Amino acid sequence: MRKYIEFARVQMQVHAAYSAWFWANTFSILLRMLVIYFFWKAVYSSRTEIEGLPFEGMITYIIIAMFLQMFVSGVGQELAHTIKDGNVAIELMRPYNLITRLVAMDLGDKVIHFVRGALPLSILAFIFMDITLPSTWQSGLLFLFSAFMGIWIGTFFDLLIAILAFWTINLWGLQVMKEAVISFFSGALVPLILFPEWFQTISLFLPFQAMVYVPVAIYTGILTGTEAWLALGSQIFWVVSLFVLLRILWSIAIKKVTIFGG
Amino acid sequence: MLSRYTKLYYLFCKQNLKVMLEYRMDFLLGVLSVMLQQFAGIFFVKIVFDHIHALNGWTFYEILFIYGIAATGRSIHHIFFDNLWTLGWQYIRPGKFDRLLIRPINPLFHFIADRLQQDGFGQLFIGIIVIGTAMPHLGISWGILEFFILVVMIIASGFIFVAINLFFATLSFWMVDSLPIVWTIFNLSDFARYPLTIYHKGIRHFLTWIVPYGFTAFYPAAYFIKGSGFERLALLTPVVAIFSCIIAYWFWNRGLKAFTSTGS
Repeated sequence: MRKYIEFARVQMQVHAAYSAWFWANTFSILLRMLVIYFFWKAVYSSRTEIEGLPFEGMITYIIIAMFLQMFVSGVGQELAHTIKDGNVAIELMRPYNLITRLVAMDLGDKVIHFVRGALPLSILAFIFMDITLPSTWQSGLLFLFSAFMGIWIGTFFDLLIAILAFWTINLWGLQVMKEAVISFFSGALVPLILFPEWFQTISLFLPFQAMVYVPVAIYTGILTGTEAWLALGSQIFWVVSLFVLLRILWSIAIKKVTIFGG
Repeated sequence: MLSRYTKLYYLFCKQNLKVMLEYRMDFLLGVLSVMLQQFAGIFFVKIVFDHIHALNGWTFYEILFIYGIAATGRSIHHIFFDNLWTLGWQYIRPGKFDRLLIRPINPLFHFIADRLQQDGFGQLFIGIIVIGTAMPHLGISWGILEFFILVVMIIASGFIFVAINLFFATLSFWMVDSLPIVWTIFNLSDFARYPLTIYHKGIRHFLTWIVPYGFTAFYPAAYFIKGSGFERLALLTPVVAIFSCIIAYWFWNRGLKAFTSTGS
């Protein structure tokens, strides 16, 4: 366990070293917040509510969802690159579990991103953008738990996709496709209640809504009471099944490495 | 001179195509992924317009048209000039850029021709479909002249993307890798996917006269939208494209002069 904590710590230091990327990220997020704000301001210019959501509710949803989406991807890229350049063979010989090490590094990443990026920026958003707090402290607490679950679902899913690098070399394409599907189905762009019925039904059976939509819908009060608890149940289901699937696929993939090595 | 470069470019392309055909699955994956990405954006607009009739007076098809021009213009940049993204981390940092400098051709040409990015074809494809879908709903009659102007506008849009990326990629000559800056500036183009009139005046001026992403989609599209009020400004699009390219190329040459390579 100690060695993994060490990995997480080192990863945080790495981040502190690349300040150019930190500022680039911060600035890009600010830009996106601006685009989102003006876009939705324009959408609401001729009405007061959409599907029961007033402007404040909508902007709160979109901004919180945007922040959460940044945390639902993981170290897939790292894993995919390790696989692509063949280093995976060496990594597998080292005295740690590669996946656990990557997840530990990812945790370090996420903590530092939260402290240096998401936290100050969301405070800024609260001050300047009509964003509201959860209506009750219970839903706030539920949101934290649900967001935590969503982040794990995203992390596992990301690693699952990365393992596909054993079969393709177009990592960039893989990444773009994953992000497109997630922003589609996870409700990161708009609350799923705005989508047509059939689309909502499909996404009920996919893990993506559990990444972003469920936590943010709990936060904004779209999901309450029994509905919220049911959604939490489905999140737990996805965390467990994706974890199992990851284990299985990884063990299959590792065998492929041995085959290549002769 | 020109025919030599055309021939060279053809040879470079042939090599790139060979690579593409070698990895067919990856080619398909790349094209499909970009198409999905574009589709997600369009779907978003569609969902929003299921609930509203107009966005600050702009109809669904007008927004779609802006979107289509942005996607098509960007695909030119994505297919032919994608290597601009890699100047710092793939050429300058590993010391590979010196290789280009000792060859008897223009280093910028060599650098650009080094890669043909197949993934961009997905974007081109979606862009053309989106433009085609929106065109009949704009309330203007499409003659040969309009088509010609549309093509010019799209090419101009592509070259504005190129010029902006080239300008900021050039900073790598001084700072080894300017990718964070290039990427941040590129994100500004997100603004350009919607009518600039929804933004604060300051943002609009910035995207018109400082970093001219406004001319990559909104202004060219506005030319074809009756009563948009930007028809005259839209005609500046090719001028802005040429002007941006000249500035970017001038800056690139300055960068080349200042370049001392890494490790020395």
